[in-house]
Amino acid sequence: MNRGMNNVWSLVLVSAIIYGALAILMGVVPGMVLSRTPPTVGSQPYTAQEERGRDIYVSEGCEYCHTQNVRPLKQDEVFGRPSTAGDYAYDTPELLGDHRNGPDLTNIGGRQPSKIWQYIHLWEPRSVVHGSIMPRYTWLFAVKPKADPGDEVVPIPSGFGPTKGVVVTTTQSRDLVSYLESLKQVSLTKRTGK
Amino acid sequence: MKSASLAIRDNAEPEDVALFSSFITSATFWLLFTTAVGLLLSFKFPYPDWATSPFLSFGRLRAIHTNGTFYGWASIALSGTAIYVAARTSGIGVSNKWLAWLSLACYNLAAICGTITLDLGINYGDQEYREWVWWVKIIFLLGVLLSGLAIVQTVANRVEREIYISNWYTIGGFVFTPILAIVAIIPAYQVGLGQVAVQGFYMHNAVGMWFTFLALGITYYALPKLLNRPIYSYALGVLGFWTNLVFYPVIGAHHFEFSPLPWWFQTLAIVFSVGMLVPVWAGTANFALTMRARGETVRRSYALPFIVVGVAYYFLGSTQGTVEAFRSLQTIWHFTSFTIGHSHATMYGFITFIAWGGIYALLPRATGKQPSLLATGLHFWFATIGVTAYVIALSIGGTIQGLAWAAGNPFIASVDAAAPFWVARAVAGSLMFLAHIIFAYNVYLMTLAPGPESDHWEPPKRGKAATA
Repeated sequence: MNRGMNNVWSLVLVSAIIYGALAILMGVVPGMVLSRTPPTVGSQPYTAQEERGRDIYVSEGCEYCHTQNVRPLKQDEVFGRPSTAGDYAYDTPELLGDHRNGPDLTNIGGRQPSKIWQYIHLWEPRSVVHGSIMPRYTWLFAVKPKADPGDEVVPIPSGFGPTKGVVVTTTQSRDLVSYLESLKQVSLTKRTGK
Repeated sequence: MKSASLAIRDNAEPEDVALFSSFITSATFWLLFTTAVGLLLSFKFPYPDWATSPFLSFGRLRAIHTNGTFYGWASIALSGTAIYVAARTSGIGVSNKWLAWLSLACYNLAAICGTITLDLGINYGDQEYREWVWWVKIIFLLGVLLSGLAIVQTVANRVEREIYISNWYTIGGFVFTPILAIVAIIPAYQVGLGQVAVQGFYMHNAVGMWFTFLALGITYYALPKLLNRPIYSYALGVLGFWTNLVFYPVIGAHHFEFSPLPWWFQTLAIVFSVGMLVPVWAGTANFALTMRARGETVRRSYALPFIVVGVAYYFLGSTQGTVEAFRSLQTIWHFTSFTIGHSHATMYGFITFIAWGGIYALLPRATGKQPSLLATGLHFWFATIGVTAYVIALSIGGTIQGLAWAAGNPFIASVDAAAPFWVARAVAGSLMFLAHIIFAYNVYLMTLAPGPESDHWEPPKRGKAATA
């Protein structure tokens, strides 16, 4: 056996240098280069409200079941065009995800433009999608005996709502849904913008 | 010396025994807690409307399960065992025991703070295995540095001439992980797609440069010790060390195949995933050849069956990882439950079984207190049958999910098709959790339970190896 390696500090030093170099090469440098990717032409930064909604998406762990990564494969065509590098320029923390217990949401704003549907679905997914395994997010709403002026009442299908009172949106549900509605892919061929 | 007999007692310093026992007791708590969370999560697939409060919701608990098993259970169990192994192989007690105690405090503090913050919805993005916010990561990093320092100082003060191969691996793990943690924490190069690249690098290295190195190091100690026979080949062990070090850091991007990460970068990751067969097969062959023709010893041992299953899953899980990296198979398996099966084959079948093997091999020798034979047998079979059923269920379910997508069916058809396999997973998970309760009882018997007095310890004579 190599005698030099019997000094524990040289073992520490040599492995630290090799791993450090590989960490820079495979982690830091790709990170630096790709962090400079310019946004896709026509895409817009998130508004303050969309940004708050995105924070809720992150904090509730939506990414564990929903990807935002359309692959250039036939089975992904239903979710939109293949994602490109520039699509993620405004997305930190990144939300590509690696599980699809639910569908991809890259273009959900385009595929499901109804805000009302999104509210109902968040309150109780099984009221609109039979067999869905998505958790319900009832805490993003408020239940009131009677709607006040200015309240946005969510028309929950019968049997899925509270026994008494009405379900109204809160800042949180409005923010989250405004983020979901903002998830619209920018066309790569028509340069019309948003 | 009869290695299969459990009456053998290490001539370890009582303070080292207390240290080792405390690490394992802490780790066992985290195992019970985080797998209870995992079990709850598995039942949320068939019963999504069950336990729906923000603090019990799937999106928050999932990260508590993964980070807790990684950084609470596996990290504490493996660090505690690695420290004890360093002292045994060096023929001395742990130098600077306060470093190790402080490390244990940091690990526990990080796991507590990490669990609470995640349950409040405070995280660093939903990026697997690094969801803890930066200051929690720093507390954990301190724990790694302190344990690592305790080990390096102990090995530096050893009476043996050579550094035993176990310590190569464990010291490696303690050197790589702080570097990895720092790369993961600094935000400057983590914007948009840049963060995707760092995430691919991080998530795979956390598994491969930390848990794999510690588990292999413990196997290299426990196996020859239990069989009372030297490791088959020292050279294969060294080959495994260097090839693992050079190949593993390159394969992270295979978690993002068909993503907008540069195509060549993904291809490079696939090529090196194949390269990983070298350290995996070298390590497996080395362990298998060390155990050759000793079936009877394995059968009569408490600890060896766990190590046999651990090595088998190291081979199967890692080889599966290589195959999974091929683009043709990723088109079907990526994004499906198949990958959850893979992560349990490796983090549970391999890492957790090796941790158990190491604990059953060394803890009774340290404390002089034996686990129950019946309980150990039940633990072994429930855990082995449980994880095997778990992996098979999700491998089949995941494949069906992927094929349903490829067939162009509506999305919900893939959910319906996978549903029975998710139920099977919850049943398998229940069996695994039952095994953990039994293990916890054994840990109690080996540590806190009243047992023989530990006052017959004699200071080792310097120059005489206490490692055999």
